[in-house]
Amino acid sequence: MKASRVLQIVPLKFRPTDDGALLFADDAGGYFKADQDFLERYVDDSLTQSDHRFLDVNGHAFDGVGDLAYSGFEYRFASRLYSPAELDYVILVPTLRCNLSCGYCQVSRVNETTPGFDWNGETLQAVLRFLGGLSTKRIKIEFQGGEPLLRLDVIRHVQAFCRSKFDHCEFVICTNLQEVSPEAWAVLEEPHVFTSTSLDADRATHQAQRTKNAQKTSSFFDNFDAAVNRLGPNKISALPTINPTNPPPATAVIDTFVGYGIRSIYLRPVNHQGFARKRFDARSSASSWNRYHSSFIDALIDFNWDADAPLEEYYFTHCLRRVLRSGHNHHADLRNPNIIGYSYVVIDHDGKFYPTDEARMVSRVGQFDLSMGDVFSGIDRDKIDMLNSEALNNFHPDCVHCPYQAFCGVDLVDDLSRYGRIDLPKHLTDFCQRHTYIFDKIFSLIYSEDPKVGKSLAIWSGAPRFDSSFAKVHR
Amino acid sequence: MIDLRLKVDPLPIVEPLVVRLLDQPVDNRTEHDAIILDIDGDRREYEYHGFSFTVYARPHESLDGDVLLVLPGQASAHRLIRANSNHNTFLVTEQCDQLCVMCSQPPKKYHFDLFDQLAIAASLAPRDAVIGISGGEPLLHKERLFQMLFAVSASRPDLRFHILTNAQHFEPQDAERLVALGSDRILWGVPLYSANPKTHDRIVGKEGAFASLERGLATLMRAGASVELRTVVLQQNWEDLIGVAEFIATRLGFISVWAIMQLERIGYGRMNWASSFKDTSADFEQAARAIDIVTARGLKAWLYNFPLCSVPQDYRGYAPSTISDWKRKYLDFCDGCGARETCGGFFQWYDHKEGFNGLGPI
Repeated sequence: MKASRVLQIVPLKFRPTDDGALLFADDAGGYFKADQDFLERYVDDSLTQSDHRFLDVNGHAFDGVGDLAYSGFEYRFASRLYSPAELDYVILVPTLRCNLSCGYCQVSRVNETTPGFDWNGETLQAVLRFLGGLSTKRIKIEFQGGEPLLRLDVIRHVQAFCRSKFDHCEFVICTNLQEVSPEAWAVLEEPHVFTSTSLDADRATHQAQRTKNAQKTSSFFDNFDAAVNRLGPNKISALPTINPTNPPPATAVIDTFVGYGIRSIYLRPVNHQGFARKRFDARSSASSWNRYHSSFIDALIDFNWDADAPLEEYYFTHCLRRVLRSGHNHHADLRNPNIIGYSYVVIDHDGKFYPTDEARMVSRVGQFDLSMGDVFSGIDRDKIDMLNSEALNNFHPDCVHCPYQAFCGVDLVDDLSRYGRIDLPKHLTDFCQRHTYIFDKIFSLIYSEDPKVGKSLAIWSGAPRFDSSFAKVHR
Repeated sequence: MIDLRLKVDPLPIVEPLVVRLLDQPVDNRTEHDAIILDIDGDRREYEYHGFSFTVYARPHESLDGDVLLVLPGQASAHRLIRANSNHNTFLVTEQCDQLCVMCSQPPKKYHFDLFDQLAIAASLAPRDAVIGISGGEPLLHKERLFQMLFAVSASRPDLRFHILTNAQHFEPQDAERLVALGSDRILWGVPLYSANPKTHDRIVGKEGAFASLERGLATLMRAGASVELRTVVLQQNWEDLIGVAEFIATRLGFISVWAIMQLERIGYGRMNWASSFKDTSADFEQAARAIDIVTARGLKAWLYNFPLCSVPQDYRGYAPSTISDWKRKYLDFCDGCGARETCGGFFQWYDHKEGFNGLGPI
């Protein structure tokens, strides 16, 4: 029977799933599963009363523009759009020098003794003048490199300046923890100072990928042990960089992190930038990465089933929450529109501004110049704004058909870095392949009836239990 | 129990009078202040514009900074503001256009307009106070209410309001005023009992209430207002809680918080107790699922007026102490309970013989 009430149905996009059904989703991130018959009724405009009732209750329909269902949909849609806040996060690269030479170094480092890759006094003063001109009351400063602990003097200058200028300061020091002087420990132990380092799965992998010899490996692990003990697991994060063509077993990564009491693991594939693109075949690594990541998530689910303290993979949790929630826009890697160069900037060793760390690397290897002025003459966003005007997936001819569009984002710097252009068909890009996989995985778990899966999804979604109503099937 | 009325010696007044009681002169002295002269047992004598004003209170109770409303010919004063409490509420009218089965303050026919006095009282409140506004239905007197809100907002930008309304009377053109008042200043407490219009209308005793509520909530959303959505759990809507959670997820993503509330055994709540009270200590499942749903959606849910021992362990973190100090009591077995410090206890008028079955110290 055809519906009598005149409901307006919002546009639905769909994608076949492994179980033979179709996943439907709308522009505000509402979703459900249905079958081919429903699709045909939807296309033929012959939806039944029962179809309408379902679409109404599930938030895909409205009676009239401006009614509560319509406004609620608008609210969810609008909250999924990222709007940059005022500039309150600055990444500083006081030196490119480093005391390690990792095979996949993402940032084109130079040797520890190479002159000419450090801030000089004028650069420091210009950076402080720039920070002094910000209107925010809260600042987050991240020190990267090179190895920023080689410039502890700069770190201390910047800290002192920020503490006198802003109401609240947070400092993140991204260090390889290879050599930590007593003075450096004192800085890392200060309140509102956080340490971020790399820990590649286990001792063997870390040595193979980073430290190269047993002595350096021991120095790192000694320092890492000390950091966990002295700073506590809440003040330290450790990122494992994974080579997808030769990944460590998931259990090795899990055991290492559990051993240190670190419950959030942020797996990173080797980044196809800087020197990495010269050494690794990273142009087409998405499928091997996806396979590994999927098996890692399965291993976490097994682990969490009877663990006292559960684990998460940070980015997977983020993507799961982006499926379930609107307004979950805090991660710079997954935003739509992905407006860069506004809420945070990078200042390189030579005082140049970049919108992101990746843009700095693309520029460093000479592909494109994505700098946006420097600390001496000020920010110039002309070029970046051209890129920003394309950084939207809502109207992209490939993305408009994808049910994951509302959850996903864009990364044009990544496209430029890999392909030298931003107009490749999306499904051929690494970004699209990785995110299509991750949302496929998320939906396969949401619709799973395995109680082990349910337990992990509850933990990762932040709720006591994962409710069965998130796996709606309309028949 | 804390007194919300204080005995006074009647004053020779013809208009309602607002008085702030002070133990000593303060810097921001106003024409409404009365300064203490003498305390003798429960009798306190104040100086007010050269006259003597006598208030009776328990000897150790502080009245410093309290604001009283004295009505002509009455021997007791309304204690509008207790300076050391976070639970100060103005009852601006007793008229209402709904007749809810759980109403704790059943409506009356006549309205006595005290908005001018209440505006003065608010202006005398301690710094950064939150003032509750309740009824009846405050928005039945929408123009007077907005006048008061604008007047107080201008003179006391530090004050905030928590206003309980059935949201039946917002019009789209009110959005501008709501924006002007600012979304940080007012938290609107709005009840929704079911996502099924018929069930909601039946519970609030008004046909078409659900449809009006939808329009009101849309206006609040467009104005960027802060809303605390309130759902009292009842036998009548227990099976609808998940529907409400999904309604919130699809339509009401803008709300600040969803308050899932236990029934207060007073007014119609007492009259309808047997047919309405839902013993959530015996069966919590629908409330648990409702919390699961909105939490995963990134929204905040709270359990109001639930004794902690009535809530399964995994959900106790959602049950803050919410029963106002002057309405609260504890039972015998609470003495041995390790959670008493963080538990809101019971309403004074809760009757354990007809209440929760599955309680005990935790």
